[in-house]
Amino acid sequence: MRPLTEEETQTLFKKLAEYTGSSLKNLIAPLDNSPNADRYVFRLSHNRVYYVRLSLANLATSVPRDNLLSLGICMGKFTKTNKFRLHITALPILAEHARNKIYIRPNGVMPFLYGSNVSKAHVATFPDNLVEHQGIIVCTQDDVPLGFGITARSTAEARRLDPTAVVCFRQADCGEYLRDEDTLFASG
Amino acid sequence: MAPTKGAAKSKSSSKGDSKNNKVLGSKVNKKNLKRPPPKEVKSKARTEKSLLKKSKKREYTEAELDLPKLNMITPVGVVNPKGKKKGKTFVDDPEAMMTIFAMVNAEKEGQIESKIMKARQLEEIREAKKKEAEARQSEKKSKLENAKESIRQRRKGKSGDSEGTKLSDAAKADESKSKSSGKRKSVAFA
Repeated sequence: MRPLTEEETQTLFKKLAEYTGSSLKNLIAPLDNSPNADRYVFRLSHNRVYYVRLSLANLATSVPRDNLLSLGICMGKFTKTNKFRLHITALPILAEHARNKIYIRPNGVMPFLYGSNVSKAHVATFPDNLVEHQGIIVCTQDDVPLGFGITARSTAEARRLDPTAVVCFRQADCGEYLRDEDTLFASG
Repeated sequence: MAPTKGAAKSKSSSKGDSKNNKVLGSKVNKKNLKRPPPKEVKSKARTEKSLLKKSKKREYTEAELDLPKLNMITPVGVVNPKGKKKGKTFVDDPEAMMTIFAMVNAEKEGQIESKIMKARQLEEIREAKKKEAEARQSEKKSKLENAKESIRQRRKGKSGDSEGTKLSDAAKADESKSKSSGKRKSVAFA
């Protein structure tokens, strides 16, 4: 387990910034104003990035590398080409600081959780001023985050689409907790 | 060969002919100057070891040649910077992370802003095109309506036996066509 390098931090933040606004800086801010205040940090272990409290990360150094399976919240993993892939486990953090949210109707929830893209017929509200290929959090109408994706069209274009057309490409959904159960938490 | 020749000549001069002797004497003096003994240059056999041994050429390592890498295990995206010190520099203090975050965020904001601007411009162009198309459509429609109206009026005129009321262009065009084709054919039944 080690801290991220400058390059890795940049890659991670670039990915996070797709989905979140400037409030993301609260993620790494100290928890209180005392000089030795605890704070959250990012740690890399087996190519996976964990969002974890510094005190916990320091304790975890006593665990051998091979024995340490997971700690804190897994944000995602670095691929072999040094790109970053967000995991569904990062959804609570992304949803909290989301830049844009799309709300889907009850009849669109199950198709989305089974891994399909969001079609226009399933959209309850689509935010204004959206551009295409922008990160977006997918929520139910009760504001429960279900996953995240990338917009397929801008707002203006999406209004003209027919109901079966795709407006958001799925990136991750909560169904992955079941579908990818074997690989989601397996390190290595 | 030359020294042996000279020696022979000096011998002949000692027999007589002082003139000749004088001239030759200077030559002899030159010849008598001490010179380092000629070194023997032995031609080496081609099969000699030193000749057979090839001079060692400098061998370049792959890294020095900087050849493009093909079919390597390392993926294309991963490029290790050359001439850089090995090892990682970790970013762990919040200030450094904040600066990185601010940079990334500013870049992202700029990208989104430019995308929005572009989308807005495209939308404007699309609107203008749509308006133009609509105007063209309505013009076409009105023309058609006019033509229809004129035909209707003509029919009305015919039914009322008043041939003088031909107002529309279309009707005029029709008339000229009929004139150009000559007398109108008509069938009459007795």
